[in-house]
Amino acid sequence: MTNKYYEFFCPVKVIAGKAALEHIPYELTGMGAKRPMIVTDKGVRAAGLLEPVIAACEESGLEITTIYDDVPPDSSTTVVRDIAGIYRQEKCDSIIAIGGGSAIDTGKAVNILVSEGGDDIAKYSGAGVLKHPLKPFFVVPTTAGTGSEVTSVAVITDENKGVKLPFTSSFLLPNAAIIDPRMTLTLPPHITAATAMDAMTHATEAFTCMAKNPLSDAYATAAIKKVSQSLLKVMDNPKDSDGRLELAQASTMAGIAFSNSMVGLVHALGHATGAICHLPHGLCMSLYLPYVLEYNLETIREPLGELLLHLEGPEVFAATPASRRAEASISAIRKLRDALYKRCQLPRTLKETGKVTENQLDHIAEMALDDGSIMFNPKEVSLDDARAVLRRAWA
Amino acid sequence: MLAKRIQPMVFQARRYYVELMFQVMGRALQAVSEVDENVQNEARALPDGFLFEMMVMPDGSRLIVEHTGQGRFHYHGNTAPRPVDLSIQFKHIAHAFLVLSFQEKTSVAFANDRMLVDGDISYAVRMTRVLNRLESFILPKLIAQRAVKEYPADLRLPKKLISAARIYLKVATNFVETARA
Repeated sequence: MTNKYYEFFCPVKVIAGKAALEHIPYELTGMGAKRPMIVTDKGVRAAGLLEPVIAACEESGLEITTIYDDVPPDSSTTVVRDIAGIYRQEKCDSIIAIGGGSAIDTGKAVNILVSEGGDDIAKYSGAGVLKHPLKPFFVVPTTAGTGSEVTSVAVITDENKGVKLPFTSSFLLPNAAIIDPRMTLTLPPHITAATAMDAMTHATEAFTCMAKNPLSDAYATAAIKKVSQSLLKVMDNPKDSDGRLELAQASTMAGIAFSNSMVGLVHALGHATGAICHLPHGLCMSLYLPYVLEYNLETIREPLGELLLHLEGPEVFAATPASRRAEASISAIRKLRDALYKRCQLPRTLKETGKVTENQLDHIAEMALDDGSIMFNPKEVSLDDARAVLRRAWA
Repeated sequence: MLAKRIQPMVFQARRYYVELMFQVMGRALQAVSEVDENVQNEARALPDGFLFEMMVMPDGSRLIVEHTGQGRFHYHGNTAPRPVDLSIQFKHIAHAFLVLSFQEKTSVAFANDRMLVDGDISYAVRMTRVLNRLESFILPKLIAQRAVKEYPADLRLPKKLISAARIYLKVATNFVETARA
């Protein structure tokens, strides 16, 4: 009997497509919520993305009780405590997080405080601390990449201690994720590209790392196919709402995939690079993906070869000898990165970012080695291995 | 019928085996930190007084080691002098048995959700590397390859044999001292 075993869990109701936002009032009232609070950031408000949500609720007679629109890019324990204070003061009963990773993580953390009580979010940090379901929580992503709307994790910075606090619990999962193409239509080209490559990386690592399983594989391959088919179309025609919806769905599917099968070395290097050089996460993912796949190649030859079908389609897959498919998959990803560079100068190497210096590589390698994602990389990574990958990614 | 009768004995044997392996591993962690520079370098990043626990949920066998400084570990047996800093917890004794009988690699057990980490994940990654290094030393290569993700290419036979002999000697001495005490 094989030792193969896996777990798969995703109870988030996905509400996706045309006029999806208009389902929010029905879903909220169905959970007995009447006084929702919106948690978002200034960029989302300035882009006019709150209006369709507010209009959708008001048309159904549901007033948004209060809006907090000052979530910073790197949310902190102080911000979470302040928002929880406003929630209590305004007697809210539910949260709608609208935005990217930071707004969504902040919404999750606020939900812990307002459901469990207290002002100190740090005491709920770690895995499995929460024992009860939280308040109704909806997420409306405005980028198509993080997949935070379907993950059970939030990361909040503790300003006093200067550390990032992780929170992990299935109770952090939203009750619903609302995927509406209107919310990503105005995303600038370089963010569209970087976030889509984030989704591509989530899916690729989910499909090639140690905790892959049949269910996460299905989501991962579907996500890769959607990104491969729609990303360049959207880059050429940003108002293509069908393409935008495809990317948004790909992000959610990749999120479901990686939250059930974890990620590997690309994320370990990306987290370290983000912390040291302050590069956006999606950019780091796009940058490291082919180099890490090359490093892992002999360990993941079979699944990586399978991905060619979803990256390039059945004709290229059939025309490529089985023994060359893994290399062809890496080439397809490189080709996509070249096309993105041409369209929006999304960097392909560390040098091209202009924000990393060669003498930072050792520090990045050391930090990456202690990142939790590295446990799930299919191939063991030593300090020298990490340095070698970074040197290849340098220029 | 026979299987049903011997099942309690099998469960008992499995419990004893896991407990014995924890005792051996705890002592071996202390020993390898006195023998191997690589392990010492890994351990130096841990705070002095850092307490590491490996246990079977909910309240089964456990091993506790402390980083006493300079990359050295001290084995505390199954009781901690204060709350532990990092705990790696097997969800069930069957999962601990799979790993400790080398049917499942530690990394695969993590991937298969057999274990939970309570504490700083970066320290858990570091301790996993230390455990892998230890297993590479003390197990025959064929078995070690089943226990670790990748057997270290730079671990040559003479070094392995000498280090393993020193570790086993220290483990045996520690067992004797414990028995005498």
